[in-house]
Amino acid sequence: MPNASDGLRTSDRWLPLGGAGLLVVAILVFPSLAPNPYILSTGVIVLNWAVLATSWNFVGGFTGYLSLGHGALAGLGGYATGLLVAKADLPSFVALVVAALLVAALAIPIGFAALRVRGASFVIVSIALVLILLLVFQSWSSLTGGSRGLVVPRPFPGMLRPEHHRVFFFLFGGLLLLALLTWWLLDRSRFGMGLKAIREDEDKAESLGTPTFAYKLTVFVVSAAFTALAGGLYALWFGDLDPVFQFSVLTGSYIVLMALLGGVRNLFGPLLGALIVGIALEYFKVQFGNSPLHLVTTGLLLGLVVMVMPDGVIPSLVSVVRRLRGREQSSIRELSAADLAERRRRERAEARS
Amino acid sequence: MLLLQSIILGLLLGGLYALLAAGLTLYFGIMRVVMIAHSAFLVLAAYLAWWTNSRLGVDPLLSMVVTVPLFFAAGVLLQRGLLSRLRPATLTMMSVLITFAIALVIEGLLGYAFSGTQRRIQLGYGTASFDLFGARVAVVKLIAFGLAAVSLAALYVLMRHTQFGWALRATIQHRDAARLVGIDTERTAGFGFGLGLATAAVGGTALALDTTIYPSLHWHWIGPLMAIIVVGGLGSVPGAAAAALLLGLAQSLLQIPMGATWAQTVFYVALFATLAVRPQGFFGGRLAQRF
Repeated sequence: MPNASDGLRTSDRWLPLGGAGLLVVAILVFPSLAPNPYILSTGVIVLNWAVLATSWNFVGGFTGYLSLGHGALAGLGGYATGLLVAKADLPSFVALVVAALLVAALAIPIGFAALRVRGASFVIVSIALVLILLLVFQSWSSLTGGSRGLVVPRPFPGMLRPEHHRVFFFLFGGLLLLALLTWWLLDRSRFGMGLKAIREDEDKAESLGTPTFAYKLTVFVVSAAFTALAGGLYALWFGDLDPVFQFSVLTGSYIVLMALLGGVRNLFGPLLGALIVGIALEYFKVQFGNSPLHLVTTGLLLGLVVMVMPDGVIPSLVSVVRRLRGREQSSIRELSAADLAERRRRERAEARS
Repeated sequence: MLLLQSIILGLLLGGLYALLAAGLTLYFGIMRVVMIAHSAFLVLAAYLAWWTNSRLGVDPLLSMVVTVPLFFAAGVLLQRGLLSRLRPATLTMMSVLITFAIALVIEGLLGYAFSGTQRRIQLGYGTASFDLFGARVAVVKLIAFGLAAVSLAALYVLMRHTQFGWALRATIQHRDAARLVGIDTERTAGFGFGLGLATAAVGGTALALDTTIYPSLHWHWIGPLMAIIVVGGLGSVPGAAAAALLLGLAQSLLQIPMGATWAQTVFYVALFATLAVRPQGFFGGRLAQRF
């Protein structure tokens, strides 16, 4: 029976290392290649998306639980950081870490409610999270500034704008590498195996002794912490928070679109998706401004990805290449139990006819 | 008096919630699908009612002659064309994304076609109201409730006393067994989806009568509706109806001390409390255990 472990060729083993090397070089070089501060700031935004999508993939990729509410966790991280700096006078980066810990702590009761039952409730809670936080942060204007927004003091006062972008580009790059490293380590660990078992068949995983609830909750909290770090870093960089943008359902759907498009089972899948979608988003903003057609395009793209290539670009391309080379399809794409059942059914049907 | 007024308004609102939650419950029962786009279709129907009234100058209730069959067909198409083509193993998650995508498309198209301006139907009887034990009740609210109640009753009769209803309930209860006794479950499931979406057409018309509508309104509805079906127990129509009335009443009562915005949080508090204490919902049956 084909699965992930057999046929691991050397190229597969070196792929993460090569990819990471390439990424490090790209992060180091991009700021000096960027022709103007605008392009550099776009780079910061795209990296922010990449961190968000990779953080999302801790839950989405390993366990198969799709969260539409990660935008809210990022917004929470941003607001927590901003409030700690503005109201509690904490140093910026201390505030960032404290905020991430706070969001992680908050993720425990949220995850507790969301993960006790299977998929459907989790999605419902994740969307409800966005809606409730938008409501709270808009209404509680004495603390959050409401729809007037919250101004976050800059961490490096007196720094010129291009230099500011450059510093934050490297900070986001570092955070992205940290998230990727954590994902890679989890992917190879026993814990990661348990999570993937949940994705394939939660009942079987449970009956084989995997503590499914504890595993799901743990990985959700880790994911929330990374998401909050990204949100907090964004708050420090951008310096102005508005509930409508921080707790927008769209943020969560962009993250899901990126991760799915790139491929949730690959280390670099969400990063690739973030590059494609993030750059496209910025491009369309410049070309067409903010029109309702944004929503239409996002919706159509999301629908297309779900219907046509739910495994993402990387696996689709790999299988196309395989087919062109005429080689037997083997293992870069892990097969789920459902895929195997489908294949066996097809083979049986062929044998019968 | 204020209290009585709130109770009456809460029950009237609860009726509309109940109808819409019944639609959501139908989808979930048939395919284990959480239909995020339900409230987007609701707002779409409301816009069509508004458009009928402001452009064609006829009563908005007449728009249902078109929207109900139209939405029924759209529901059948949605189920046959999109949802039934998803891989069974990831159906619940992927169907959420598909319906979420549809909601975004509808919201975007509404914004494009009618702009983001807030719209409201101007009716001759729009401001009329009458006394009920000293509480003032607007006529349009009563019409909206009446629409919801009649459709719910029709849905009940259809599910209980027609051959199609039996087939639909059999499909919900046990798809394989239903197929064994000769029910075309695929077709039944499609019609069931159409039926669910038709409730959104009725609900949208009722909504348009006395509410200001705008394209992103549907987010204010999907949250409460999803909370209702979880509290009621996923897949249970009576549970959803009971939870709808209860939470609608709670929202209306809490508006007095807390204001309209904070009163909305009652749905989310109920959602989290239910999942933490009794994740299968308070009226849930067999289905709800595993979702």
